[in-house]
Amino acid sequence: MVVKACIDAGAKMMFGYPITPGTEILSHWIREAQTDKSLKYLQTEDEIAAGFCVCGAVLAGEKAFTATAGPGTVLMQDALSMADGMRLPVVVIVVQRGGPSSGTVIYSQQEVNLAIHGGNGEGLRLVYSPSNLSELYEYTRLAFNNAWKYNFPTVVLSDGFLMKTRQLVDLDFKIKNFSAEPIISENTQKNIRNIYTFEEELGEKLAQDKKDFEKMGSEVIKSEVFCGRGQVATCPYFDELIIAHGIVAGAAKEAVDELQKAGKKVGLFRPITLSPFPKDELNKLAKSVKKIFIVESSMGQLRDLVKQNLDAAIEVDGLYKPAEGIEAEEVVKLFE
Amino acid sequence: MDYQDYPNHYKCCMSKEAKFCPGCGYPVVLRFLHAILKEKKLEKKTALGLDIGCSLLAWDLLPINTFQTHHGRVVPTMVGFNRAKPDLLSVALVGDGGAYAIGLQSLLWAAMRNDPVLVIVVNNTVYAMTGGQMAPTTMVEQKTDTSPVGNDQPPVLGPELIRGLSPKAYLARAAVNDVKQLNIYLNKAVEACQLGNFALVEVLSFCPTNWRTKGAETNERVEEMKKVFKIGEF
Amino acid sequence: MLLKILLSGDGGQGIQLMSDLICRAAIQRGFFVSHMPNYGLEQRGGVSLAFIQISNSEIAYPKFSKPDVLVVMSDQARERTANHRCKDIGYLILDICDFEKKIDEQKIPRQSQNIFFLGLIAKMLEGKGVLEKDRVFGLLEEKLGKKPNWAENKKAWGLAKNI
Repeated sequence: MVVKACIDAGAKMMFGYPITPGTEILSHWIREAQTDKSLKYLQTEDEIAAGFCVCGAVLAGEKAFTATAGPGTVLMQDALSMADGMRLPVVVIVVQRGGPSSGTVIYSQQEVNLAIHGGNGEGLRLVYSPSNLSELYEYTRLAFNNAWKYNFPTVVLSDGFLMKTRQLVDLDFKIKNFSAEPIISENTQKNIRNIYTFEEELGEKLAQDKKDFEKMGSEVIKSEVFCGRGQVATCPYFDELIIAHGIVAGAAKEAVDELQKAGKKVGLFRPITLSPFPKDELNKLAKSVKKIFIVESSMGQLRDLVKQNLDAAIEVDGLYKPAEGIEAEEVVKLFE
Repeated sequence: MDYQDYPNHYKCCMSKEAKFCPGCGYPVVLRFLHAILKEKKLEKKTALGLDIGCSLLAWDLLPINTFQTHHGRVVPTMVGFNRAKPDLLSVALVGDGGAYAIGLQSLLWAAMRNDPVLVIVVNNTVYAMTGGQMAPTTMVEQKTDTSPVGNDQPPVLGPELIRGLSPKAYLARAAVNDVKQLNIYLNKAVEACQLGNFALVEVLSFCPTNWRTKGAETNERVEEMKKVFKIGEF
Repeated sequence: MLLKILLSGDGGQGIQLMSDLICRAAIQRGFFVSHMPNYGLEQRGGVSLAFIQISNSEIAYPKFSKPDVLVVMSDQARERTANHRCKDIGYLILDICDFEKKIDEQKIPRQSQNIFFLGLIAKMLEGKGVLEKDRVFGLLEEKLGKKPNWAENKKAWGLAKNI
C-alpha cells in the first residue's frame, strides 16, 4: 500500500536498509522497479546513509524517500536533522516497533517523540499518523505533496500491525501531485549551509522557519472527532473524551460505538497530524469535557503531546500499554 | 553435513535448545567456540557480544557471559568492554551484514587500532533474519530479496580488506563444512587475542532457509562460495 | 456478522498460506476481510499466528483476543494462545492433538497438516455461508498444484472433507 502511494505520488527513488517490520517496503519497491524502469533504488550500507542519500536526491530535485523502524528510526535522526536545518522535503515512513533498543520487531506507538523531536532542533516536522490502510495511502500521498510544497521533513508514522494488515481497500483518493523542483541544478546558483557563525543568524533563520511552519499548520492540520458510526459530524457534547491516534484509534472507535449504545456520552478525538498538532480543534472540543482518557501503545508520548497543547486544566487519565496492542474491550472497560 | 557425527570432544552442553533454523551454521560455530574456550579454561573468562541478526539468537545458548548489542555495533561495544576489562577475552559474534555493511567502519577501526577483540564473522551471503536481502557478501549474479534479477556488485572480502590496515592482526577464513580447519583457526585466533592482537575469523556458513536449499544442496552452495571466498590464513 | 478466526502454529507450518486462501475465498463472496499475521524473530521455529476477521461491514481493528474459531497446530502454539481460549457459546477449537490419531492413521505428512486444517475450516465456513470450500480448493490447486507433494496435500484435504 505504501509503495503504491509513493509511486502514485510521483516518487522516483527509494533508499533503504532492511529492518523489520519495514523491509517489505524496500523489497516491494525494488520489485516494482524491475518493471517500471523510471523507478530507482539503492540498498545502502546503513540507515544513516539511506537518510543522507534521500537528502541528496531531494536537493537534486527527485521525490525520494526511505522507510525504517525502531533502531533505524534512531539512526535516521542524523539525516532528518540535516533536513530540519536545511528545509529539505524528505519523506520518511516510520514503522513503529517495540522499543527501546531492539525491543520487538512487532508493534508499538513509541516512536512519536522521535518522529517529531528526534533531531537536535525544535521539531518543525510534518508528521502524519494514519489509522487504517486507506489512510496510509492517503496520507503518504499527502506527505509527498506537502513536503515539497512547504519544505519541512515529513514523516508517515505507521506501525508493525498496520503494515502487516491485509484488507481489500477501495481507494478513492484523487489529488494532483505537487511537482518537485530541484533545489540545485544547472539553472541555479545557490550556496546552502546548515551551520552559522553568529547566534543571531541562526535565531533569525529559526524565526522564519517557525513562521513558515505555522502557515503550513493552518493549511495541513488534520484531526477527527468521532461519536459513533452513523452519527452526524456535529456531535453532541461529551462528558468524557478519548484521545488516540493511528491504529489504536480504530479500536477506540469500536469502543465509542459500544459506549454510545450504552448511553454513555463518550467521544473520540483523533489527531491525524501529530505535528503540527491540532491544538485549536482539541481545545474547542475540550471546553465541555470533564475528563480525558489517553489510549496509546506507549507510556505517555501521546499524553505529553496532548498536555503540551491543552489549555484548560482537565483531568487526564489513560490506558498506556507500551509495545502492546489495545483492543476495543479494554477501552470500554475504562468506563465501567 | 551432519555435525552430530563429530567426536564427543566437540559436543558441548548447551543451556537451552537453540532457536536457530534446522541446518543453520551458527550452532556449529558456537559449539566449536565453546569447546575451545572450555579446553582453555576460559568459560568464565570470556565475554561474548552478539550483533543483531541471527547471531542474537545465541544470547542464552552458552554457559558464558553473553549480551546482545545493536546492529553493526558489537565490535565497538567489545572494544569498550575490553578496554575496561582487559583480563577477559572479548569475543564479537556477527553476521556479514553487521560486520561489512553497517558495522564496517567500526570493524576497520578496531583492526587499525589492533584492539584485542576476537571477531567471528558468520558469512551466509544474505541478511537472513529479515528474510534474505542482499548483503555485502552476496556474490555476483546471486538473486536475493532485494536483488531479484541478480546482484552486480562484487562481494566484500573482509580478511583481505583488513590485511593491509592491520599488520599484527590474525586473519583467517574457514567454513562450517570443514570443522577441523575451523577449529584450528578459531584456536589460533583466541591465542592471538590473548597475546594482545586483533583477530578475525570469517566462517562460510549454511543458511538453507534463505537459500531455499535442501540437504546436499546446502553443502554444495558453500563449496561454490569457496571459489569466491578463499579459505585460509591471511 | 463478524467472524474471528485465529490460526496458530509453528513458523514454517504454513499458517499464513492457510490465511491467504481463506481470505481470498471470503473476499470473492463480497465480505469485508482482514488478515494480520503475527510472529516473532525467528525465520523458522517460532510461533506463527494469523488473525482473520470476516464481516459484513468495515473492520476497524486487525487484532482481537477472543476468537470464534481457534486452530492450534503445535504445542508451542497451544501455549502461546492459552489466553485466547474462552468459554463462550458457539466457540470452536480445532487442536491438532484431537486429530493426531487420524493424521497418523492416514499418514498425513507434517508438510500437509496445514492443508488438513484448511479443509476443516473451509468445511465449517461453508456451513456458515461465508465461502465455498470448492473455491478454496481451487485457489489451493492454483498455488500448490504444481509442487511435488501435491498428492499428499490433496489427500489431506480429502481427509478433512470426510470428518
